[in-house]
Amino acid sequence: MVQTAAAMEAYNAYWANSFIPGAEIMWMVLILILAVIALWQARTFVSQF
Amino acid sequence: MDLKALKAQESKRKISKGYMWALFCAVFWGIWYLPGTVVWVLNPFDEMYGEIAGASGDAVSLVVTAVLITAFNALTVMLALMLWNGVLGKFGELGRTLKEFHPCSKWFFLASIFGGPVAILGSFMAMGFIGGAFAAVAALLYPVIGSVLAYYWYGEKISKRAATGIIIIILGGITIFGGGVITELAAGGVPWIGYLGGLMAAAGWGIEGAIAGKGLDISEPDVGLTLRFLGENIIWWIIIVPILAIVGYPMYSFAFQAFEPLTLLVLIFAGITFGFCYVCWYKSFPLIGVGRGQGIGNLYGLCAIIFIFLFFGDVPAWTILVGGTLCVIGSFVMFTEETAALETLRGE
Repeated sequence: MVQTAAAMEAYNAYWANSFIPGAEIMWMVLILILAVIALWQARTFVSQF
Repeated sequence: MDLKALKAQESKRKISKGYMWALFCAVFWGIWYLPGTVVWVLNPFDEMYGEIAGASGDAVSLVVTAVLITAFNALTVMLALMLWNGVLGKFGELGRTLKEFHPCSKWFFLASIFGGPVAILGSFMAMGFIGGAFAAVAALLYPVIGSVLAYYWYGEKISKRAATGIIIIILGGITIFGGGVITELAAGGVPWIGYLGGLMAAAGWGIEGAIAGKGLDISEPDVGLTLRFLGENIIWWIIIVPILAIVGYPMYSFAFQAFEPLTLLVLIFAGITFGFCYVCWYKSFPLIGVGRGQGIGNLYGLCAIIFIFLFFGDVPAWTILVGGTLCVIGSFVMFTEETAALETLRGE
């Protein structure tokens, strides 16, 4: 099923008032950065304990 | 350096790592609200909600759609945990733990029952029948249940300072969502099923934490959590979704339609945040105890408000600033506890 115009409008409306430029992409970028930091910390943790 | 000093240093390092994992949990849990919110407006869930609401009413539709979203969430969490275990090289350990059903796997499968269909479904019921703010407040009470159970079941120590910190964080959480709760409660009659959902969320996550604490005595948190989500996937995809399909809800037709790029992308990010949040939660338990891990994890309320403010542009009310301050104070009360007091997490 492709997204309907109404669904896309509702989806885009969430990011429309964001304080962060390009919020519809940046939330994913932030999650990826946090995920990489968590994985790196987990690797460090495994080697230390 | 003598042995005693080395032991003290090791204990301090362990505790600081425990708090770090609990904080990671709060951050991932808070950011999970972004994909967790936007996925509802995307197809097929939007159309599924409309179709079932037309035939069975809004309340039933909300719960049935929530079941499918939660089932997909559990599936993408499993993918995220495979990546986590792969990076940490723990597939061998995963197989070994899975085979040892009686001593350890059973605890994680039991945890999945309390965490999945009890806590998550209860939370969605509270959201649907009363409102999101009530659901969040109800869930904030779970460390009380978790720490009390851990205390009575296997004698986990809860110092006065830790109890004070947990209570301050819970009060902060209640203040954050307080305004919304008053509006929601004033809006309708007595939706008892919503209160039951709230109770299920608090009890479910609290009991899950205590059970996980028991299972983590003899196994690894990373693989333990993966088995817990294996159990949750079995519950949703092999038991609940087929039962709902047999009853007559269009579960499979909408489930197949979820394989759409944007919906899948949002679900994958929901899986990464939820999976990593949960694994960090489990990792904190053996290091700082179930009560402290859950107490610091409760900072998710504050993190959610910050991320929603930044990305959705929803400006917080003054109650949120007061509640946020209380949350930070509660965390500092716990962080600054003497490490000597945390050297042993269990009573003699």
